[in-house]
Amino acid sequence: MHQPNSTTGTGSIYVNPSRILSLDVLRGIALLGLLLISVREFGGFTNNQQLFYITGTHGWNFKLMAAINILLDGKMLALFALVFGAGMLLYVHTKKFPVAITPADAFIRKQMWLMGFGLVNAILLLWPSDILFSFGMAGILLFAFTRMKAKGLFILAIVCTLVYCGKLYWNYTDDQKVHNKWKEVTLVEKKIKADSALGKKDTLTKKQTEDKERWEGMVKSFKYDSAATASEKKEMGKNWPKVFSHLLPVTQRRESVWFYRTGVWEISAMVFLGMALFSIGFFTARFKMTSYLLVGLLFTLVGFALAWWRIKANGARIIDYNDYIDHHPLPYNIFFPFERGLMALGYASIVMAFLGSSLLQWKWKLFAVVGQMALTNYILQTIICTLFFYGYGFGNFGHLNQWQLLFFVAEVVLVQVVFSVFWLRYYYMGPLEWLLRCLVYRKRLPNRKPITAEQNPS
Amino acid sequence: MDQSITPGANQEQSVRPVDTTERIKSIDAIRGFALLGILMMNIPGFGINWDFWYGMMHGPRAGKDYYTFAIVMTVFEGTMRGLFSMLFGAGMVLFMLNKKDVPGKPPVAEYYYRRLLWLVFFGLINCFVILWFGDILFFYGLCGMLLFPFRKMNPKWLLVIGLACVSFAMIKQEWGYSELREKRASYREAIVAKKENKTLTPEQQGAIGTWEQMEKNQKPDTTYSNDNLRKMRGNYWSVFNQLLPQNAGFEVDYMYNDPWDMLCMMFIGMALFGWGFFSNKLKTSTYLMWMLIGYGIGIPVAWMIFDNSWMNPLGLGYYVDHWRVSHDLFREFRRIPITIGHASLLMLVYRSKLVPWLMRALANVGQMAFSNYLMQSIICTFFFYGYGFGNYNKLRFHELYYVVFAVWIFQLIFSSIWLRYFRFGPFEWVWRSLTYWKKMPMRKAASR
Repeated sequence: MHQPNSTTGTGSIYVNPSRILSLDVLRGIALLGLLLISVREFGGFTNNQQLFYITGTHGWNFKLMAAINILLDGKMLALFALVFGAGMLLYVHTKKFPVAITPADAFIRKQMWLMGFGLVNAILLLWPSDILFSFGMAGILLFAFTRMKAKGLFILAIVCTLVYCGKLYWNYTDDQKVHNKWKEVTLVEKKIKADSALGKKDTLTKKQTEDKERWEGMVKSFKYDSAATASEKKEMGKNWPKVFSHLLPVTQRRESVWFYRTGVWEISAMVFLGMALFSIGFFTARFKMTSYLLVGLLFTLVGFALAWWRIKANGARIIDYNDYIDHHPLPYNIFFPFERGLMALGYASIVMAFLGSSLLQWKWKLFAVVGQMALTNYILQTIICTLFFYGYGFGNFGHLNQWQLLFFVAEVVLVQVVFSVFWLRYYYMGPLEWLLRCLVYRKRLPNRKPITAEQNPS
Repeated sequence: MDQSITPGANQEQSVRPVDTTERIKSIDAIRGFALLGILMMNIPGFGINWDFWYGMMHGPRAGKDYYTFAIVMTVFEGTMRGLFSMLFGAGMVLFMLNKKDVPGKPPVAEYYYRRLLWLVFFGLINCFVILWFGDILFFYGLCGMLLFPFRKMNPKWLLVIGLACVSFAMIKQEWGYSELREKRASYREAIVAKKENKTLTPEQQGAIGTWEQMEKNQKPDTTYSNDNLRKMRGNYWSVFNQLLPQNAGFEVDYMYNDPWDMLCMMFIGMALFGWGFFSNKLKTSTYLMWMLIGYGIGIPVAWMIFDNSWMNPLGLGYYVDHWRVSHDLFREFRRIPITIGHASLLMLVYRSKLVPWLMRALANVGQMAFSNYLMQSIICTFFFYGYGFGNYNKLRFHELYYVVFAVWIFQLIFSSIWLRYFRFGPFEWVWRSLTYWKKMPMRKAASR
């Protein structure tokens, strides 16, 4: 085991001395943390199922669920994007390429292949919430900013966050409009009722009925529906072609509408922030350990408070949206873009503080190893989870509740860490990283380490 | 006339906008032609209510409206956008070839991507401020970002990729059609069961409902149509609110589901550019041959599609029962030969020097294609929408083409005059200045 070194990983497991340990560690944390969120969707702990706990008695499942919502929901994706932004600059500016190629060509090719991997992951391996496709696109869109100064990048990060807030607010105003129309119709309805008592016959027009049904449908979607859960369970328990057809529209919506409306802002904001932080040396231990720790704790706490408010407001919204919309000018998730940004930044700072100390060094190395093989591990998560939960595998979809899912995730994490550690003893990089590299450089590159070398990753 | 595009031609190898002398005039002429032609396809979108199409497709096969419709749909539909896409692909290669990386300055790739981001931005303006739902700049900007790694590829492979994109579009089309046929089949089964007075399963009832809803969706909904008409003739906010969801939906849907439409033509355009097709480098007999092949294959196929699929008075059910394969399968394909036919014809006219003044005028239009494209949106929205002259849905189909002629003449003259005094079109200048992030010189030197 080598001495702590927060700037570069000079340990034997590293191929490239320019790899930055902190980025690998954070990527590993984000990757494993992301599973705690996505396992709900993999495992059939659906939104509908969650409603059952939100509106029911607030038992242990609810508390666990709320804790994960506060600590991880959206933050892990944000952290991933933060590291992705930093990685973009590292790749474009300092990477040594194994073949003669301009950084721009290598980078764009890599992004396009990532989009390809993402499509396979989403459409063939059946993971609708795949992020590779979106990150591939975001990287291409933001390539033009890779030489911008830190100040400009910070400003863009804030602008994107504000646009993201704006989009959430916009959705809320749409709901408000639907609600107002419903209120108008209910007044008309009262009048009709009063009139019918007097012997007049009047009914709602087609448009009025539609307006009424739209709002009522929305409110109804907040109620736990056991039939919906049962039918989803049935669909996901079928064979591959059936699950494929069932999930295809979900995947397509995620890849198109979600990215176009909010995804692009959600991701870009954090990518810009990651780029800005990288260029001021945040990830290479520019600041003192105490500053990292203080800033980290402060941001995490502020984010925590915002998250707490969001959970409360969401509960109120779900229990009585009619009442919520009458009394709240802002949607429950209006601060979410800042909440997850601050917390992701806070987590990153805290990790930087620990990396600068000599505490728990071996543990960070485990995350680093997972993060170094992020692509492989990400696809591996899909393979493990789909086979465990979907009908063409072991069919456990919808059978586990929140705490059981936690055990499942712990198991997957263990498998991934062990796999990564052993794999990197014999190979320079993960199998899919290697494949991606060969595709980008259009050349078969060596991956196996010389057998004689003494390798000891822990 | 045409200049060599070898990058060694100019002394200063810095990254800067292309000078007028370096421009390839033949490319500009074709681009100008394509740009003017695009308006033929766009004008119904600007000026006429949706339900008109239903009447057109089911209406009598006679009269000025029908003949205009037949010519536009057979000879031009999709091909002008196709030509434009081809030249966009060629233009991207040109942009990269004309400039070399300079140490200490941002790499050309960065300008390339900045330029395209601004194009996406202009596309959003065209879509959500000028309110033109058929904007293509947004898609071109995004598709262009995917072309970059292919710029140095052998034309042969570019052609293969282009054809692969077309095949992909065709497979998707056929997939969609076979799903439609399945729905029809289960509908017919259910109908048979109903006639025999059997109790229907929920699936069968669903199948009947689905199909009937689809047939209903084909027919114009008068409530919606009248509402649309009223809103399009209203003030700016009324038009904006009417178009916002539709335009946003269209942008995301088209970009995600149908980028092949543009990508295939862009790749083929890059290939043709690599072979010197657009820079007037092939033999006259070659252009003649391609014109004959292109029109010879493309027009009959296009007519077949128009005759059977577009003009469809007997309705969807009849069509699906009658045809195992949809004619639309070849819709994406037939654009390629016709587009190549148009381009070859234009190159022949250009080369023959029959109408040099027209070619010069077209080249001027093409040189400021971006300005002219946005100007078409501005002119047409003001002419048709309620906050302008409010001519929405007031003209008959063939009368729309009088507007098209007027815009053409205006743009031909305006571009020629403008370029006498300025180096770039007005929006080109804005675009360039934003890309290079400094104010670019615009006026021509007095000693021209």
